[in-house]
Amino acid sequence: MPLDGAARRAFEAVLDPQDVLSDPVRCRVYECDGLTGHRVVPELVLLPRTAEQVAAAVRVCAEHEVPFVARGAGTGLSGGALPVADGVVIGLNRLNRILEVDPVDRRAVVEPGVTNLDVTRAVAQYGLYYAPDPSSQQVCTIGGNVAENSGGAHCLKYGFTTNHVLAVEVVLPDGSTVTLGSDTGEQQGPDLRGLFLGSEGTLGIVTKVTVRLLRTPETVRTLLADFPSVAAAGEVVSDVVAAGIVPAAVEMMDALAIEAAEEAVHAGYTIGTPAALVVELDGPAEECGSTFEQVRRICEAHGCTRLHIAGSAEERAAIWRGRKAAFAAVGRISPDYFVQDGVVPRTRLAETLDRIAAMSRSAGLRVANVFHAGDGNLHPLVLYDGAAGETARAEELTSAIAELCVEMGGSLSGEHGIGTDKACSMPKMFSRDDLAVMARVRDAWDPQGICNPGKVLPTPRLCGEPGKYRPHPLEEAGVIERL
Amino acid sequence: MLHPTDLKELRDAVLDSSGTLGIAGAGTAADWAGPLGPVDAVLDTTGLAGIVVHNPGDMTVAVRAGTPLRQLQEELAPHHQRVSLDAARVAEGATVGGLVATGDAGPCGLAFGSMRDLVIGVTLVLADGTVARSGGHVIKNVAGYDLAKLLHGSYGTLAVIAEVVLRLHPVPEREATLAVSCSLTEAAELARAVLAGPHEAVALEWLGTTPDAGTLLVRLNGTAAAMDARLDRLRPVLPGAVDGDDRWAEHAAIVRGGPGDAVLRIGVRPSKLPGVLTALPARAITAGLGTGIATVVLDAQDVAAAHETVAAAGGTSVLRRRPAGASVSAWGPPPSALKVLRAVKQSLDPAGRLGPGRFDPWM
Ligand SMILES: Cc1cc2nc3c(=O)[nH]c(=O)nc-3n(C[C@H](O)[C@H](O)[C@H](O)COP(=O)(O)OP(=O)(O)OC[C@H]3O[C@@H](n4cnc5c(N)ncnc54)[C@H](O)[C@@H]3O)c2cc1C
Repeated sequence: MPLDGAARRAFEAVLDPQDVLSDPVRCRVYECDGLTGHRVVPELVLLPRTAEQVAAAVRVCAEHEVPFVARGAGTGLSGGALPVADGVVIGLNRLNRILEVDPVDRRAVVEPGVTNLDVTRAVAQYGLYYAPDPSSQQVCTIGGNVAENSGGAHCLKYGFTTNHVLAVEVVLPDGSTVTLGSDTGEQQGPDLRGLFLGSEGTLGIVTKVTVRLLRTPETVRTLLADFPSVAAAGEVVSDVVAAGIVPAAVEMMDALAIEAAEEAVHAGYTIGTPAALVVELDGPAEECGSTFEQVRRICEAHGCTRLHIAGSAEERAAIWRGRKAAFAAVGRISPDYFVQDGVVPRTRLAETLDRIAAMSRSAGLRVANVFHAGDGNLHPLVLYDGAAGETARAEELTSAIAELCVEMGGSLSGEHGIGTDKACSMPKMFSRDDLAVMARVRDAWDPQGICNPGKVLPTPRLCGEPGKYRPHPLEEAGVIERL
Repeated sequence: MLHPTDLKELRDAVLDSSGTLGIAGAGTAADWAGPLGPVDAVLDTTGLAGIVVHNPGDMTVAVRAGTPLRQLQEELAPHHQRVSLDAARVAEGATVGGLVATGDAGPCGLAFGSMRDLVIGVTLVLADGTVARSGGHVIKNVAGYDLAKLLHGSYGTLAVIAEVVLRLHPVPEREATLAVSCSLTEAAELARAVLAGPHEAVALEWLGTTPDAGTLLVRLNGTAAAMDARLDRLRPVLPGAVDGDDRWAEHAAIVRGGPGDAVLRIGVRPSKLPGVLTALPARAITAGLGTGIATVVLDAQDVAAAHETVAAAGGTSVLRRRPAGASVSAWGPPPSALKVLRAVKQSLDPAGRLGPGRFDPWM
């Protein structure tokens, strides 16, 4: 049902009319997020300037049963911020104030539209930083990070967004405002804060976030090592972990990803090497040095063909520039690409990559791999040419890879979320009852079903009627039982 | 008393019984939070015990909820792995499910958080017999809602926890603690200095019977090779510090309280902790100066006012020991999200079968 005039007038009454966009040309800017294959032009885009305005706008939505979708920077890769037909987009970019920095209690209170990197920038003068560091950190917003429970290269040691958010102020789907969590992160009763984190904008809109800050580590040591095979690099990761070492980050890239990144940013990676590892350790000086030496020996024991240790902050930055540029750089070697985000148990990395290579060959599409090896979070990049009619095939391969990860005992998504993209794959990972309980929880927060509807949980409209039940791979392996 | 020994028996026990149900693990937190009201049956989870699968290479373990954490730690130890949780009642046999349901954590929460930061998957049974899972067996996973978080701190009111999957950490080669005698206010200054330096303390706790005199404990984890040098660098920050490895038992004893004690766990911004604690008529205190989480031992009649004092400082509080027979308020002023909590309860347990009384008077 298209928006009626009464709802439009109500939005214009609670916001400055110039903050209500209805011109289709201007609304088109909001038609998609980072999953650009899915587009819906919203009826209206609301750009509130304060938390009170967000609440007022949501109250109008509730009163008129208008579906709404919160949006930060629109860098999400799973279609979480994809507009809903006949609904409104509520853009949070203008709520971009840093409300408080407290260097003594090591925390900051920020509005949701503040970018991830701006939090660290605002606190760096105190020797502090905000740990979760998605590669998109220059542009993605804290509100988006909260919604996606975003990770980053350093979450192996430091954890994800949920481990760094003490409290969030949330406008519920009925327009009322509540605080989840507290000054210590403790919650009296169930951890509603934790449930909200990673709920992909389906339980409410974040209007204020209290984040924990960490002290910048005293020592950081980074190496870049080349290996004759992905399997050899994978063994290094296993041995490092088995030695009881918790690196700050362990990232892997394969030949295709290295080629793309190197051509784009000239960061000093070796073109032609089958695999490269970036390993970073941080901590107190006494400890970091000797542990780093241990990692170096493990690399050598697995036939490392080149080992480059960052000798300066600039060299370290260059290594990371290469790694972080990989996604975008792939755009140079292929007209289009999909990013995958499945997770497998670390011990099954090599096997999974072999399977992906075989799937890539039989689909006739190239797949570049760049990923968080320490926690098994893959980011296969499926390269295709939409103009050559390869889109459907690429989409199929992408879904097949996500489902392969589930088959390996892993997950559909490590950090990018389910959104629109993977909602229909959810039954591969969760049973009907699992999903029904999640739906009951969602209904408790959003009984009208107006808060980012159609995302995360599969719907018949989106996915067709559910197929016949197939046993979960872990069930077949005897790890879980279905009654 | 229902005593299931596997998931099927658990589900059947829930389905075959009618009326209200209390859920009991080892009983180490039975007198925490609100008192369990009269129930038609008690579901004992201790028969749901043992490891389902331990993947040392992935550093994850799936374990049945009635397994005592102490026992799990013993089984993990040969692999040099552990669950990084040192809550005081672990030593008394607290179960993994119970630790999740009570949102418990100990001193090393400063570095590792509480149970919610360690749980990566959960299997639960609702009051209507529905069996559901969320999360999985990998440490990084954002697929679907994280229902384990919802059960963290739920005190047996939303679902029965049947199984949990935990992320593990390597057992550090060495743990070492320095202890300094000082007042709470002095301790706060020292803690600030420790946190401002590169020491990476994993626990930072002051304990004492009055704010004027007590002991600050600072624990480090790390490699054997580097520990002495790290301690040498820490000592000048903590003048007069001595070896404190054996002082943690005293800390745990305060957290547990004794017969006749009321114990309150509170949380406020770390810098507000000395002020708030000094204002309370505490008989013993542990204060997490990095986390802002503290435990105070009080007389039963002082609990209600203590909740108010903490709430006025913007903090949280929950009763963690009720003297036998005493009527003591378990919770302070309700949080703003109470209606969400009620809606979730209504949706998952509409008949109000599970854990009546635990959130009294909130719901
Ligand atoms: C090049 C590139 C690299 C990336 N690297 C990483 C990475 O390393 N790790 C990682 O985890 N992700 C990564 N991402 C994904 C993306 O950046 C993150 O998911 C990020 O958190 C999204 O933030 P955003 O502000 O762009 O949110 P959006 O894309 O605008 O929205 C994402 C979701 O959050 C919801 N949302 C947004 N704001 C709010 C709010 N205030 N309240 C409630 N819900 C809200 C939306 O409804 C939507 O469901 C990458 C993306 C790109 C393009």
